[in-house]
Amino acid sequence: MNKTEIAEFELATLELLKTVMDPEIEINIIDLGLIYELYYNGAEKINIVMTFSTPACPLGETIISNIKETIKQQHPTFETVVDVVFHPLWNNSMVSEEGRKILGM
Amino acid sequence: MNGLKTNNAPHIGVVVPHFIFGAISFFIVAIMLVFSSSSLLEVYFNTKLIAITHMAILGWATMIIFGALYQLIPVVFETALFSEKLAKVTFWMAAFSVLFLSYSFWVASFTMLLPYASVCMFISLLFFVINVLLSYRKSELKNMSSKFVIAAIIWLLLTELLGTLIALNFKFNFFSEAHIHYLKIHATIGLIGWFLLLIIGVGSTLIPMFLISHQLNFKKLKASFYLINGGLLGIAINWFLINNSILTGICWLLVASGVLFFVSFIFDSYKKRMRKKLDVGMQYSLLAIVSVLLPIIISSVLIVGSNVEFQLLSRIVVFYGFSIIFGFITTLILGQTYKTLPFIVWLEKYKKLVGKTKTPLPRELYSEKIASIQFYLYLGFIIIMPIGILSNNLLLLKIGSIMLLLVTILYNINVFKIILHNVKPIKNE
Repeated sequence: MNKTEIAEFELATLELLKTVMDPEIEINIIDLGLIYELYYNGAEKINIVMTFSTPACPLGETIISNIKETIKQQHPTFETVVDVVFHPLWNNSMVSEEGRKILGM
Repeated sequence: MNGLKTNNAPHIGVVVPHFIFGAISFFIVAIMLVFSSSSLLEVYFNTKLIAITHMAILGWATMIIFGALYQLIPVVFETALFSEKLAKVTFWMAAFSVLFLSYSFWVASFTMLLPYASVCMFISLLFFVINVLLSYRKSELKNMSSKFVIAAIIWLLLTELLGTLIALNFKFNFFSEAHIHYLKIHATIGLIGWFLLLIIGVGSTLIPMFLISHQLNFKKLKASFYLINGGLLGIAINWFLINNSILTGICWLLVASGVLFFVSFIFDSYKKRMRKKLDVGMQYSLLAIVSVLLPIIISSVLIVGSNVEFQLLSRIVVFYGFSIIFGFITTLILGQTYKTLPFIVWLEKYKKLVGKTKTPLPRELYSEKIASIQFYLYLGFIIIMPIGILSNNLLLLKIGSIMLLLVTILYNINVFKIILHNVKPIKNE
């Protein structure tokens, strides 16, 4: 896989992750701006660096397993590693235009 | 990975029984009120009203708060509950004690049953306090919210200790003053120390979380904590030892300004919220926060106007109690039930299915239409009842009580709809 193909794959995966919702806020995690980074190594591993809207988010573990399952459904042999960080702390400037419309901002 | 505390959540079997018992108790409170609406027009320490108050405060509000707090300890303390087994023992003992205690008041058995019932209640609350304190000891997070919760727990223990002593005094008669004097301290430290502080502690975490608001001024919470605790401690010591009315007024001002700091904190959170549309749970919660101003106004009237004629004074005291128990505490619990219970059940039933099948949203576990009708009926209830109390109108109180009964039926329908929700997985295409 060349660099362009890897970049296209990463974009497709981000698009796929638009099906993962935050069940409380009812917006997908991409438009909510929870995903900070997503890397594909060109083989069968995806690394995701993400955050939550609050550090003690009670739905955190559920969102992570939803991410892993969603990727697994599309790429059954892939390994997905999710790292949760709180630096920088999530804030409303990270929400996409689409997300803002849904939230009525 | 850090900050993920879902693994710390207790088993659903620890939490849900509290919501079931609380919902049924709420229904029982409404039945009691329908059958003895007139007790609201009598002197405020009549036995029927005390029975209703204890059923509402302990069977309804405290039970739901216990269940919610077991679930929220991982969120507020960022640690697991110390012992789930102890929580289960506490539940059964508290459930028995609440019914025993309320029955003792209802039949006015002050020497035969009440002392034993209150000792049972004290032991069960002590178990709860131990469990929360030991959970806090494990926690590395000592923020303002957790400090509020711990202070509330300590006030709960003091409230219950005094309540038990009052009950034992009916049998052994060791107090120097009349019961009513200690009852006033018992009610004040219970309502402000236990409920208000706990609600501020949990609310200051949950409300900004549900409104999705950030960059809040936590100094306001700090000021609120010291003002309320300082004022309440002053009131308690003053009433026990000095009984100076000027000192009471000063301490009351401290408490009132502490409450205003909290209201201002929530108002900031509301202004900075990302989520503009409020669901029914948040409508209730914000109504409760506004309602907290009412008891402050009424209590100022009580402090300033102590020369009012006794019958009117008694009705104002009942109105004061009503504004706290129903205007503030119950309103907030009704709202937060719709915010927390669907999530607790949803997480249990769907956490292993997310990503594999289409899952409903937590709010789809209950009927929003029922919740909405319930909200407007409840609004009618909290408007009609104070008018009935202050104008000495039994008919209004009867209408209000029936409205509450309908509210409790609708609430129970939704609570059981959530708890008995069946998983119907649909395969993703």
